[in-house]
Amino acid sequence: MVAAPELSSTNLVLDRPDTFQVHTRAYMDADVFAAEMGRIFGRTWVYVGHESQVPAVGDYRTTTIGRQPVIISRHEDDQIYVLLNRCRHRGSVVCREELGHSNFFRCPYHNWSYANDGALVGMAQASGYPGDFDKGEWGLRRAPRVAVYRGLIFASLAADGPSFGDYFAPVQKYVDWWLNRSPAGTITVLPTAHKYPYPGNWKWQAENGHDGYHGNYVHESWQRLLERAGEAPVRDIRKYRTGGCTRGFAFGHGLLERPGGLNPNASWTGRMMVRFPEYAEALRATYGDDEIEQISARRNIFVFPNLYLFDTQIRVINPIAVDSTEVHLYVYGLDGVPDALNQGRYRAHERFYGPSGFGSPDDVEIFVCNQTGLQASGVDWVLLSRGMHRERVGGDGEVVGHSTDEVPVRAMYREWERLMSA
Amino acid sequence: MTMAVKHELTRAAAEEFIYREVRLLDTLELEEWLALFTDDGLYWLPIEDGDLADAADAVSIVYDDAERRAERVYRTLHTPVLDQSPRSRTVHMVGNVEVAGADERGDMRVLCSQFIGELRPGGQGQVGLNRTRVLAARAEYRLRATPDGWRMSMKKLLLLDADQPLYNLTFVI
Repeated sequence: MVAAPELSSTNLVLDRPDTFQVHTRAYMDADVFAAEMGRIFGRTWVYVGHESQVPAVGDYRTTTIGRQPVIISRHEDDQIYVLLNRCRHRGSVVCREELGHSNFFRCPYHNWSYANDGALVGMAQASGYPGDFDKGEWGLRRAPRVAVYRGLIFASLAADGPSFGDYFAPVQKYVDWWLNRSPAGTITVLPTAHKYPYPGNWKWQAENGHDGYHGNYVHESWQRLLERAGEAPVRDIRKYRTGGCTRGFAFGHGLLERPGGLNPNASWTGRMMVRFPEYAEALRATYGDDEIEQISARRNIFVFPNLYLFDTQIRVINPIAVDSTEVHLYVYGLDGVPDALNQGRYRAHERFYGPSGFGSPDDVEIFVCNQTGLQASGVDWVLLSRGMHRERVGGDGEVVGHSTDEVPVRAMYREWERLMSA
Repeated sequence: MTMAVKHELTRAAAEEFIYREVRLLDTLELEEWLALFTDDGLYWLPIEDGDLADAADAVSIVYDDAERRAERVYRTLHTPVLDQSPRSRTVHMVGNVEVAGADERGDMRVLCSQFIGELRPGGQGQVGLNRTRVLAARAEYRLRATPDGWRMSMKKLLLLDADQPLYNLTFVI
């Protein structure tokens, strides 16, 4: 068997002052995907869940980091553990449920049993091992690093690398504003989620969530519905869609931002503050007008490599194969607001998002159109240079561009390239 | 307001209603399909089986009141909608029909199973098109006798894979 050639990804991102292009192989080559699983998902901080999904001691959920099965577990010390879901004996998963509550994880093969923090507590017919067998050495492997930020749980499979604080710093204030729409500053994730698969590369979804360029075309149908419902004429929606900005950050993060404000005609938060005076009162009790102005801006925040924070949902991108992806939309309630406010958010979410929504499936169509189009190999590159001539770099290294420009996606691929080539 | 009319619902009548209802979906006569609902009717695809009373505080795949249903149909028929270009072809198969008594509003509960074949045709090599899918669902209808005949106050489909990743469910199921 011939070893695969060492991947040289330095030729997959063309980053020049006047052009930015990504090579077809980044989306189509199984070797590139395998390298991504190790060099990106095996090293960076990866979002794995929210604390409200494992509220009680003994609660757990299973998920993946890249392709690797892990368990998010709340142990009796009330701490969150991220455990590799692989028995240390012969390698079987020790948990097959999506979520649940248990005092231990027991391997189905030979009954090796582990506590909720991964410690090996026993195995069947233990006399087959010598008396000095050190169970302390044979617990479930833990993700070497776990960080929880205001309920958001991240893990890194690498013991070394940028600290969570450094990694998260560029987006932290935007995440704070996103959370502070709750007067309590917290959210609760609903028990069930929207999930959709698509036969395409995971980065199509990563690129699209902060793309402010496609809305008038991919979502023209949606705009017609808003017009039909008397909510806004298509002309006004399109004007609004040129407002705001895109932002690109270090570590591959980025966001699309629409202006907020307290004007109920222009901002959802403004509207909710009029409709629910108790919500307005609760926000004002905690935050000043400037803060509320920032809170009310609508942002799709991408935290590299797999997390989007949206107004109604935590969106998690799960890469399955180079041409296979699953996206999970975890809808959440804002804590400390009237039930009717959250119910309105859930209805708005169902209307646009999910497999039967009036928006998400249109985006998915584009992902498969891309995956088909890239079969044409006579063209090697996709072009991501929009707005390079008009973006500005802030003092903190944040790049700011027009709301329809490809600033955040360039930030993503610069980090992608850095990780893939190092 | 329509007064509830006490009326016997036979299994044959329930089958006749449901056969027509799903045929209207297969033939894309969606305006006619809309007219089969009562004004307060609900078209519901939950993610997990549960009480209708809890649905407002949960997220469903579809949770359509009259306005949202009309929007869904308008979207499909009259807007440039990518996710139904090309359109889905469907074939519904209905079986195991049981009339299961009246609900608390006096509407008749009808249970059945459905298999739904779906295909979106496209050009050669188009990813995501040209494959027949089969969806399986347990269905619950609630039928109300009205002066215009039986009308649905609810159509609920619990898909076999409702809690799994679901690809393009933008056709009316």
